[in-house]
Amino acid sequence: MRMRRRATDFVLFLTVLTLLSIGLVMVFSASAYFAGDPEGPFKDPFHFFKRQLFGAMLGIGAMFFMMNYDYWRLKRWVGVMLITSFVLLVLVLIPGIGMEFLGARRWINLGFFSFQPSELVKICIITFTAYGLARKKERVQNFTTGLLPFLMVAGAAALLILAQPDLGTAATLMGTIFIMFFAAGARGGHLAGLATVGVAGVVAAIFLEPYRMRRFMAFLDPEADPTGAGWNILNALMSLASGGLLGTGLGQGRHSKFLFLPERHTDFIFAAIGEELGFIGGCLIILLFILLVWRGFRIAITCPDAFGSLLAAGLVSGIALQAFVNIGVVTGTLPVTGITLPFVSFGSTSLIFSLAGVGILLNISRYCTPR
Amino acid sequence: MYGTNMTVRKRLTWIFLLASLFFFILIGRLAWIQFVQGEELHNKALEVRLRDVPVEAKRGSILDRNGKELVTSISVDSIYATPGHVKNPREAAEKLAPILDMDVDTLYKRLTRKSSFEWIKRKVDNDTAQRVRELNLTGIEFVEESKRYYLKPTLAPHVLGFTGIDNQGLIGIEKSYDEELRGQPGRIVVEHDAAGRPVPEAIHQYIPPKPGYDLVLTIDETIQYFVERELDKVVAQYNPKFALVIVMDPETGGILAMGNRPTFNPNNWQEEPREVWDKNPAIWYNYEPGSTFKIVTAAAALDEGTVRPEDRFFDPGYIKVADRNIRCWKAGGHGSQSFAEVIQNSCNPGFIAVGLNTGKDKFYKYIEAFGFGQRTGIRLPGEAGGIVIPQKSATTLNLATMSIGQSIAVTPIQLVTAVAAVANDGMLMKPQLVKEIRYNGKTVSTIKPEKVRQVISRDTAHQLCGLLESVVAEGTGRNAFVEGYRVGGKTGTAQVVGERGGYVDGRYVASFAGIAPVDNPKVAVLVVVAEPKGGIYYGGQVAAPVFQAVVRDTLRYLGIPETPGLVKPKEPWEVETPRVEVTVPNVVNYPVEDACRAIQAAGLKYRTRGEGEIVYEQTPGAGARVNGGTTVILELQPVGKRKSGDPVTVPDLRGLSIKEAGNLLENIGLRLSPEGSGVAVEQSVKPGGKVAERTLIRVKFEPPRREPAKTSPEGGTVSRGQDKLENPYRD
Repeated sequence: MRMRRRATDFVLFLTVLTLLSIGLVMVFSASAYFAGDPEGPFKDPFHFFKRQLFGAMLGIGAMFFMMNYDYWRLKRWVGVMLITSFVLLVLVLIPGIGMEFLGARRWINLGFFSFQPSELVKICIITFTAYGLARKKERVQNFTTGLLPFLMVAGAAALLILAQPDLGTAATLMGTIFIMFFAAGARGGHLAGLATVGVAGVVAAIFLEPYRMRRFMAFLDPEADPTGAGWNILNALMSLASGGLLGTGLGQGRHSKFLFLPERHTDFIFAAIGEELGFIGGCLIILLFILLVWRGFRIAITCPDAFGSLLAAGLVSGIALQAFVNIGVVTGTLPVTGITLPFVSFGSTSLIFSLAGVGILLNISRYCTPR
Repeated sequence: MYGTNMTVRKRLTWIFLLASLFFFILIGRLAWIQFVQGEELHNKALEVRLRDVPVEAKRGSILDRNGKELVTSISVDSIYATPGHVKNPREAAEKLAPILDMDVDTLYKRLTRKSSFEWIKRKVDNDTAQRVRELNLTGIEFVEESKRYYLKPTLAPHVLGFTGIDNQGLIGIEKSYDEELRGQPGRIVVEHDAAGRPVPEAIHQYIPPKPGYDLVLTIDETIQYFVERELDKVVAQYNPKFALVIVMDPETGGILAMGNRPTFNPNNWQEEPREVWDKNPAIWYNYEPGSTFKIVTAAAALDEGTVRPEDRFFDPGYIKVADRNIRCWKAGGHGSQSFAEVIQNSCNPGFIAVGLNTGKDKFYKYIEAFGFGQRTGIRLPGEAGGIVIPQKSATTLNLATMSIGQSIAVTPIQLVTAVAAVANDGMLMKPQLVKEIRYNGKTVSTIKPEKVRQVISRDTAHQLCGLLESVVAEGTGRNAFVEGYRVGGKTGTAQVVGERGGYVDGRYVASFAGIAPVDNPKVAVLVVVAEPKGGIYYGGQVAAPVFQAVVRDTLRYLGIPETPGLVKPKEPWEVETPRVEVTVPNVVNYPVEDACRAIQAAGLKYRTRGEGEIVYEQTPGAGARVNGGTTVILELQPVGKRKSGDPVTVPDLRGLSIKEAGNLLENIGLRLSPEGSGVAVEQSVKPGGKVAERTLIRVKFEPPRREPAKTSPEGGTVSRGQDKLENPYRD
């Protein structure tokens, strides 16, 4: 199939670049005090900024590459992608290869930067599922032949991610796959069953793991253990509240900067934004994500073929779910789980693959036929 | 061409709408946190980031009833560091160490500690603080704290009490009025990061403390001084186990003086054993009052009409009560006498007869009404209540012995309060120590004298006063006779009840309770000397002279007009010595020759000590009344070479600059605590006042009126820090 290319979705492109820019500035602002601490491990206020800038440049490169790489050609690589994904997911669990940080093995050290396989895996599994579901067409209504194979592949990947452990990423991956099933036209009954099993799985993961249980209890009542399990969420809320309507001003955040807010440039960067840029800044981020979701689904809806449509839906759902969970955690709406804010949080791998995903979306948008 | 079917498109639209809804929920949630919970959470955030260091409030002063300062809190600087702000800790430590007399390494450690607040040295003297200020080190800061200072350490330490390390009242008024004196501590607030280090552009606030209230006592510094002086004499003469004098204003119940021996210096109270300072015998000592209690017996009997002064009694030397013979102190007895003579003679059988005649019920009514057996409620810690045999179980023998002040234990404060009631037309007053509470020199509240009850009638009271006068004029209290004044009183000599019960031979309590002048009583005085050594133990011999001296000086000091022609009747063996009293002139700071001339002109002799041109000190001091021919000792040696402890005369500092005043005070061994800038306008001790060496003289400086403030260079050197810290006390 060969079609005339149109202009890419410029709104989506700008939205993502805006998020990326805000992210770069905020990563610097939030991390500078910590990174520049003469007694700390980095002694360079630009430590994280430099790495983020590097990741952003690679990511923009990846985005432009994918923007020009016709999406249906990805079908060829599905097998390679799956194998690579599982190899990496197994490798990262092996001590010596996988880097342990704060009790989790999520990274492979490549020397100049650490690579987080689960970011790549997300795109691979989404591509694989979109490819498979598009081929099945109406057969997705049959659970065993239409859904189960993808469920098992994605589930296996999710279990390996859970073993790192990284419940947040595993859960958003499964949530994305679920949305793709729904979009592909799976039966309501099947979906309800899957949703039940999924929720039960998350509940089990929380209740069987003491630290998750503590976080969950802290979510219900952060004040019960203000210096322990409640510390993260309490300080996130205090940072947000210190911002008010207009915020303390860029670079003027105090609670988020001065080490009270944990993971201030990664998982909790939204709290730093809330303090420095206030309600206005926080709203802007959320509105940008709504804009991104709108453009993403518009692409999915207007896409000429089922693979492109499901791929777009999967990619944008993945981003949306991650953003929702992240902001939900920071605002105390959801229990704490370690998940970053796409395009904004510090993390080179995440940036590269999120931007690559946007590249795919932008490529799909070139073949869309707007009504 | 649409490769995507309708269902997929519809579902995608649904997902988008749902996703948008969820994101809008997050916006709502964000608004809730930032606006609804905003302030509460923001304050909590500040609470987390800010750390406070409390700053002591300046404790209120204690003044005598004429407003003279007895206890004050002097402002002293405490030095602290904000380690993160210290540029070169090693260098700073090396500079500070010699000035503060501290170890360089200790200082270095403190200056490099990961905190935003480290005490370097607390409560340093002004000189040290000034030298540290001059180093001008960043990150080394000052905070004003206060240090308790007892200006007259020999006066009433048991009453005033003292404070602990954190200026908390431990005993005496310092304890019982701690709440009033304490004030409210302030805070130094500094912003920190989560690791406890100060952050750049940190919020740094000084919340000034609120100083405590000043207390104006009923104590009169001068009367207290007479008391202390007489107590010193008693100690020198009799070395008693302890001795005490209470002087009360009968009209108000106000304590004019209260002194105890042994005593201590409240500035160095730790140097004395605990038993010396932890109890105030004047309110705590339960003792058998002996004959002084006969005042109560007489009051009861006269008020009930069971006896009249002219009633006749016969004392054969003993009286038989319930199969027991109680002997009179005079072998052979006093024979036939009127009740007035019974009192004069302090005749035991006479009083026992009167007591028994009055009866248990009536006698107990007065014991209770006078306040025995219960605390007077004087606001001092550690008051005892005396011991009275319960009325139900009191036997006739008990009644008999109680009539002469035995088998009953009273506290000195109870007894003096009861005697004061007799002097106050029969109205019992609650003993009072504090008459006024001030804040910043303004009266906040006045404490009114508190009437307890009318114990005996006016007429009875007047009658009894007359009888007590006759005790002094003609009876056992002759040693209490004050020439020129009509005084009344009663002696008492009681044996000490031993640890195992029963009286102990050779251990006595000599006491004297009295009032003066009897026609218009201004003071009620109780003197108690417990266990005097050396064989003399009668109240009339040991205690009455103390009463006499205290009352004589007090009445003169109070300006009570003398009654002409009142001369103590002479015993035939007494030899009259001619006495000419003269007043010692002031010669301090005079050239030696002028001083000698002035002293000779006053009819006195002199002796110089040391070598020098100027008289630094004179003993006795200016204004003292001494017999003609007394030697005045003149000290010519500069202060530095003298042994410390001698008082120093404060010069007039008015019009001097801070530097000049500082130099002058330093030369004569005093210290300067400047307030404000400019020239001296006011000083805490009046020119000519005497203070202990090393006393801090607070001097208020103001810019000279006609010149602009900036022309006072000395003022400028008083660093901004000090101005900032002093301000809270000014407004």
